[in-house]
Amino acid sequence: MPRHHFAHSIFCITPPHMLREIVLNGSDKQRELALRSITISEQVRGQRGAMTKDIISLMKPVATEIKQRIVYDAENGNQLPGKVARQEGEPTVSDIAVNEAYDGSGVTYDMYYKVYGRNSIDNKGLRLDSTVHYQKGYDNAFWNGQQMVYGDGDEDLPESQRLFNRFTAALDVIGHELTHGVTQYEAGLVYWDQSGALNESMSDVFGSLVKQYQRQETADQANWIIGEGLFTSNVNGVGIRSMKEPGTAYNDPVLGKDPQPGHMDDYVKTIEDNGGVHINSGIPNHAFYVTSIELGGYAWEKAGQVWYKTLTEKLTERATFQQAADLTYQAAAELYGTGSLEQQAVQKGWAEVGIMIGGDAPTGCLPAILRVFGLTK
Amino acid sequence: MTKIYFERTGGFMGRKVSVTIEINDLPDDQAELLDDLLDKADFFELPADLTRPTMPDSFSYNITVSSDERQHSVRVGDTTAPDNLRPLLEELSRQARMQR
Repeated sequence: MPRHHFAHSIFCITPPHMLREIVLNGSDKQRELALRSITISEQVRGQRGAMTKDIISLMKPVATEIKQRIVYDAENGNQLPGKVARQEGEPTVSDIAVNEAYDGSGVTYDMYYKVYGRNSIDNKGLRLDSTVHYQKGYDNAFWNGQQMVYGDGDEDLPESQRLFNRFTAALDVIGHELTHGVTQYEAGLVYWDQSGALNESMSDVFGSLVKQYQRQETADQANWIIGEGLFTSNVNGVGIRSMKEPGTAYNDPVLGKDPQPGHMDDYVKTIEDNGGVHINSGIPNHAFYVTSIELGGYAWEKAGQVWYKTLTEKLTERATFQQAADLTYQAAAELYGTGSLEQQAVQKGWAEVGIMIGGDAPTGCLPAILRVFGLTK
Repeated sequence: MTKIYFERTGGFMGRKVSVTIEINDLPDDQAELLDDLLDKADFFELPADLTRPTMPDSFSYNITVSSDERQHSVRVGDTTAPDNLRPLLEELSRQARMQR
């Protein structure tokens, strides 16, 4: 018997289910001791029992569950990631963009972990890296495949001509960018045409849910605006997109009118913007909104669960809107039952944007002709 | 006569901004600035396509420069621009944002 066994004898008489509780809920020190005890008792037994395996599988996410964030400063250059500005556990700094990126990625992590049991972007505790002050006059934010990147807006223009504030100012933008990472590790939706618009929509959905979660707003209390606060007072607009009423977020002499459709009848065919990924995302966005309103309460609870399951278990790289509709319908049945109120709400959500569950989107002349002659449904 | 056409698409908002500049119509100092930036970028020697697989929400840029003798277009992404092209990209982006 190993000599150190006696040093931790207390854990040897602790039943496995209690060890498991300690691993999950104990302090860092308690957790460390519990994990060591599990390892030692394994060595003693010389084999891994079913319960131990169970605990070992729990250890993985728990051991890495701790949020890890680093915010970098590009100092208005283009080198990524830039200089470290704030790391996990460090106090607030004087730079507001740094703090917003730090806090925003923290809230996003928390929602994913607490609501969906997801441990960071890759579900394995990946560190959340963000860079602020990217380039000069950079009125944008993006996900580069590894990290989030934020610009300062139009800070380089005369004040009367500025349209955008810094992009960390809106929490849902942070949730949006981080969700691009989640999508990359899950459905891997190709950033082109309908699968690209679904990729964008997933980012808007979970970005909006992060904001609602932080504010503890129910679906009917939320305003469903994406990028609220990004426009300066020079712009006639409330934000970049509206999930509640796509196409109404702004109408401005300089920026023009919000081009998003909220129905398949107004689907925009274009090759710009990767086939209009930021335009046609209005359609699935609105389907999620309608589903959430139908269900009432907190949108992250039921509608969010259906969409999360669809993103992580069902959607494939080149999914279409029709497939997304069918798969959310399937996910709702698996989570809440066939014919459940939840499943009906999903059906209604897609119907309102012109997509029928199990429907068959026409793909050219032949299907249309066959339909005219009653040869297909 | 040298003409520059600049276009920026994509981004979080998915909105296009563009600007067309006739260098000969500009005041001397501004014309010199752009000529200088084109030289520094070695613009006519750049590969036509400097994009890589798209990063979600990043911008794509298209710059076309035409003069009496030649014309060249370059497509480039946010993180794929060579260092010597960046100052030109930044200046054209600033001008396009001022005109949008």
